[in-house]
Amino acid sequence: MNLKRVVITGIGVVSPFGPGLEPLMLGLKGGQNTTRYMEGWDQYTGLQSLVGAPVENLDEKRIPRLKRRSMGRMSIFAAYAADEALLDAGITLGSENLLRVGCVIGSSMGSAKSINDAFETMLPDKDLSRLNSTMFFQCMSHTAAVNTAQYLGLVGTVMAPAAACASALHSIGTAYDLIRLGRQDLVLCGGAEELHPTVTGSFDILFATSTKYNDSPGQTPRPFDRDRDGLVCGEGCGLLVLEEYERAVKRGARIYGEVTGFSTTASGLHVSQSNRDSMVVCMQQALSEAAVSVKEIDYINAHATATIQGDMEEAEAVRELFGDKVPISSLKGNIGHTLGASGAIELAATLKMMEEGVIYPTLNLENIAQDCEGIQHVMEPVKKVVRTILKNGFAFGGINAAIVCRSL
Amino acid sequence: MTEQEIIEKTNRVFEESFEIEPARLIPEAHIFTDLGLDSLDIVDLIVALQSSFGVKIRTDEKVREIRTLGDVYHFIAAIKNGEQAE
Repeated sequence: MNLKRVVITGIGVVSPFGPGLEPLMLGLKGGQNTTRYMEGWDQYTGLQSLVGAPVENLDEKRIPRLKRRSMGRMSIFAAYAADEALLDAGITLGSENLLRVGCVIGSSMGSAKSINDAFETMLPDKDLSRLNSTMFFQCMSHTAAVNTAQYLGLVGTVMAPAAACASALHSIGTAYDLIRLGRQDLVLCGGAEELHPTVTGSFDILFATSTKYNDSPGQTPRPFDRDRDGLVCGEGCGLLVLEEYERAVKRGARIYGEVTGFSTTASGLHVSQSNRDSMVVCMQQALSEAAVSVKEIDYINAHATATIQGDMEEAEAVRELFGDKVPISSLKGNIGHTLGASGAIELAATLKMMEEGVIYPTLNLENIAQDCEGIQHVMEPVKKVVRTILKNGFAFGGINAAIVCRSL
Repeated sequence: MTEQEIIEKTNRVFEESFEIEPARLIPEAHIFTDLGLDSLDIVDLIVALQSSFGVKIRTDEKVREIRTLGDVYHFIAAIKNGEQAE
């Protein structure tokens, strides 16, 4: 069976830098951090991490009420990103065979705020009569994918891989397969997630959050750094337009890059701890599918969230495969950990870095931790011709994902 | 509760829950065809009216007969007047 080639022809982003790819790239270029002290979070007993990287300045009323009413915050992000991605790709849905256009958007869970609101409404008196009609549509696991498809009027394949922080890479991998196999010609894909104290709380109770920088939020998160103390949750959405190569060339589309390899593996060992061996296998499989050697990778965009254990495992896995030969950086020092959206937002930024010939550094990495040494950390912006990249994404449940893209 | 109070409170529900401009809120406005509500909105209308007026109407069969904004006013007035009579 001849597999089709798959290229990326559009990008849409909502990040803690605001809506749009441009603010994200300006923020990265400027070495800015988006972590804030979150007012009101101190009301949650036991929550130690009081910082987050929120999205601000979004006019949700831009979306018509009938489309918006079933959207939680993450779906609003997704609608914004979808508009930008399609515009960027030069796609007019009205002239497409919509059965051939898919929408694959993952997230860790449904809208966190909506889930919380639903239970707060219902549980005090065990009274369901106060629940509104669209609450469920905001809470369900495929909320971002469904709402985006409804918003755009899409009728092709709509899916929502849920794999916590690897959700976006799973979505992109799924979209890649849908197009390779000839099931769809064009797929809007990525991930979305929203910030909420209960989301940060799920990491906080496992001692995985940053707790020492509540009074100096700009100093955290600190991926790979000696003084890292955990992740900072962010929010947003990243969406890519994946398109069948011949079709993209025929219509003269701008091509950011070609997806040439994808792999996802599981550790099978521990539900929360990441594992270097299964990471290595995952990256190897992605490289193998892309038919590239480790020497041909010009840049690795790390998952590195600034947790003690996760960063160490990723550093060791990368060291085992690449030694110190390949530049690597994590963007979470800038935008926090956008969880189910992170893979797509960070891949989007990586594609732009590839286009611009520059690699942005790991913000807040000042002193490389001993357990993260032996890999080529990027600590200042580096100008470099970047032809082939590897993007990592890891998640609770022992899930690993890796994508290889190359410029054309 | 006066008729005017019922009208004002009901209109506020339509403005806040369904983002409808006040000028369109006239008694003869059909809530589906003129005001653009649909079946999901009716669920939310019931929830909002219950909250605004402190009534329980979810299982009231007469809800199904509502067609216009004026019908909503009369429906609520009948319940509130009934409460007073009791």
